[in-house]
Amino acid sequence: MEWAWLIPVFGFAAFGVIALGGNALPWRGRYLSILAIGAGFALFWFVLLDFIERGGGFHRFGVDWFETGGVTVAWGIIIDPLTVTMLALVTFVALAVQVYSLGYMAGDKRIGWYYAVHSLFAAAMLTLVLADNLLLLYFAWELVGLCSYLLIGFWHERRSAAEAAKKAFVTTRIGDVGLLIGIILLVVHTGTFDITEILARATNPAPGEELSNALITGTALLLFLGAMGKSAQFPLHVWLPDAMEGPSPVSALIHAATMVAAGVFLVARMLPLFEASGAALEVVAVVGLVTGLVGATLALTSTDLKRILAYSTMSHLGFMMLALGAGGFTAAIFHLVAHGLAKAMLFLGAGSVMHALDNETDIRKMGGLRRVMPMTALTFTIGAAALAGIPPLSAFWSKDEMLLAVHGGLHPIYLVLFLAAIGLSALYMARAVRLAFYGPLNDAARRAHESPRVMTLPMLLLASLTLVVGFLALPLGAGYEGIGTFLLQAGEKPHPFTLNAWLTAASVVLAVGAFAGGWRLYDKRADVVASARARFAALHRALERGYYLDAGYQWVIDKVVMRAGSAVALFDRRVVNDGGVNGPGEGTVFAGRQLRRHVTGLFADYGAAMALGVLGIGIFLWARSA
Amino acid sequence: MALAAFYVLALVTLGGAIGVVTVRNIIHAALFLLVTLGGVAGFFALLYAEFLALAQVLIYSGAVVIVILFALMLTRRGEVELMDEHRRWPVAAAVSFGLFAVMAAAFIADAARYQADVRSSVSLDALGAVLFERWAAPFEIASLVLLVALIGAIVIARSGGRDEG
Amino acid sequence: MTLLHFELLGAALFCLGLYGALARRSAVLVLMSIELMLNGVNVLLVAFAAYGVRDNATGLVIAIFVITIAAAEVALAMAIVLRLFRSRGSVNVDEIDALRG
Repeated sequence: MEWAWLIPVFGFAAFGVIALGGNALPWRGRYLSILAIGAGFALFWFVLLDFIERGGGFHRFGVDWFETGGVTVAWGIIIDPLTVTMLALVTFVALAVQVYSLGYMAGDKRIGWYYAVHSLFAAAMLTLVLADNLLLLYFAWELVGLCSYLLIGFWHERRSAAEAAKKAFVTTRIGDVGLLIGIILLVVHTGTFDITEILARATNPAPGEELSNALITGTALLLFLGAMGKSAQFPLHVWLPDAMEGPSPVSALIHAATMVAAGVFLVARMLPLFEASGAALEVVAVVGLVTGLVGATLALTSTDLKRILAYSTMSHLGFMMLALGAGGFTAAIFHLVAHGLAKAMLFLGAGSVMHALDNETDIRKMGGLRRVMPMTALTFTIGAAALAGIPPLSAFWSKDEMLLAVHGGLHPIYLVLFLAAIGLSALYMARAVRLAFYGPLNDAARRAHESPRVMTLPMLLLASLTLVVGFLALPLGAGYEGIGTFLLQAGEKPHPFTLNAWLTAASVVLAVGAFAGGWRLYDKRADVVASARARFAALHRALERGYYLDAGYQWVIDKVVMRAGSAVALFDRRVVNDGGVNGPGEGTVFAGRQLRRHVTGLFADYGAAMALGVLGIGIFLWARSA
Repeated sequence: MALAAFYVLALVTLGGAIGVVTVRNIIHAALFLLVTLGGVAGFFALLYAEFLALAQVLIYSGAVVIVILFALMLTRRGEVELMDEHRRWPVAAAVSFGLFAVMAAAFIADAARYQADVRSSVSLDALGAVLFERWAAPFEIASLVLLVALIGAIVIARSGGRDEG
Repeated sequence: MTLLHFELLGAALFCLGLYGALARRSAVLVLMSIELMLNGVNVLLVAFAAYGVRDNATGLVIAIFVITIAAAEVALAMAIVLRLFRSRGSVNVDEIDALRG
């Protein structure tokens, strides 16, 4: 367990070697990267076994890095249930995705760089989940952002990919600024970067060390702003659908394990701070709920397979935030894992389809694919059903936990809207699966073929995990009493597995009903869909345009930011540049021109000046002595 | 008697000096310099510094003035040139006079401390002993400087006609 | 006849030399003026020695050094003047302005 810090170090080392060694390495470094993450995954098991042997709990290891002005900064790691869970998710998904990429990215001329950044991405995320202080966390946070930028824009020859990468970077940057300010405020007021100490100061302060409620709420909201950017919460979600421009395995990684999980992880890690505030928790819940609904409705009308998945991710991230807002730490992280596994598989499946159809992503041009790519269709269906909440697949269990948390922690209106969103998510999943994989075989899809085994194998692995991971919610014996007794915050009481019959029944009925209904609707009754689309044309258009958010942001950028920018640029050119920079320069030149007239090069002039100096010194000395 | 000699010598010396810095004929200026240097030798005698008076006549009045006259002859084109003043001579005059005023003021203010007319001398033996004991190192260095100057002068004056550096 | 007489005389010689060094145009005349300045200083040194301002020997010894260095200086300066004349055909100091900015 003391060696857990090695897990990200493998990745960093692989990045360094591949980035420097480049194409000179055997196989251009791709197996080195897989080896590194594989070693991380193996080491995770040792950490897990050690962790269980020590009876869980909360452990810290680290060394002091430097001390400045009374603030000690440490390289330190936390090993607690949250970290262990995240380690499992990140290492496993990253491993699966990297193996998959062997097939998907085969033949790409920059595959070495692809694997290098992949390693860095995973390593940064692992550092993020291990970090025991906010500085290290922020450090890793920014690295994650950088890597996502590099990978989304991996095919930067395509203008849309470059634009999408830029959009992702800038949008998350808005949140990152909030995070940075929040961290600085916390450090200034508590005098430490240490997460444990900060949380202790917020929740259980020593007398005279209390933090004001305004500070707690303010910093919690600022941290949440950072989480909103990374986890694509409304209204900072606009980068997520565009991020589809990256290679599909990258999307799988971003949506499951690394990028978007960071925001949820941050809120979970700092949850006591939010709970100490109360108001901040409420904001988290509201934003989560809105995101969940917005994402689900957008997914319903999109015709791009990867975009449907992206909006679905957004919606599910909203659910997690909602659960966190309700205080459901366990439920949210459980769902993060369940969703991560399923969504990674879905993206790998989407990638497999694109691989077969020359990068086609429009589901209207697919159809009947299960006849030509049975393995992809099978895994995709399992993933979709899991996310729709069909029992006994993974997300059913986690969704149940989240429903319990929302029921217990928030106003019933949240519960109702949450259930509606769950129904929607089953509906759009049914639609996507039906249109892409079932029904008559589309002509365009005839020449499609199943992907190589190196791609289907990771998908199968993820699918089988999706089938079983939900059962972690149940007491499995051997001392394991269900997820509610394992995945806990420090100091939280274990809550053994429970079922609220009404809630479970409602969610099952909704999920199965909506899935089956959706299936039937898109299978047999296309006319109903068409007429509904015609009746709610305005709504449909709004959904297709993503609620006009992109257009709105564009307007703000064009009319406000660009104009302010031109004004600032003008100020810079006229005042700063002409007056502030060129002014002294020209003044110096002018003074030099004037002064050089006195430099005659004549001996007599210099002699006279020297004599004048002697005269001055003489007068001075004599005047002083007199 | 001594005071009268001082004033006569002062007249000769300063008159020669004024001649050096004002006459337009360079040869005349060199001759005026000879007069001034002789006058200074006289002052050395008045101050009981017979050795220095002798050295002054030998080195300055003899060697230095001869070298200068040689230089004048070698740098002449045809007629003897008539040199007028630099156009900024008033500045030079003002600075020089100012410096003299400051020095004179300082000396006069300090004069009360040295009212007595008690000149004394050092015997040639004693001077020699001091020069080669206490001042031995500077003396050696000075001889080295002379040697370097000698070689340097030859090198500079000999190397080719053009300024090849 | 007191020290003051010699002091004023030395100062006058020095300042006349300074004037000549600054105002004259011929390099040779400048050199002669510098000799005047050195002589003015020498008069002061010897006078201080004779009137025992410090001790009787120091001033004399330094005066000897001044004469020595002056001889070296004249030799070098004359070599430079010759060289100058050969390369530029003139020894006017106000034509030597290679250092002008």
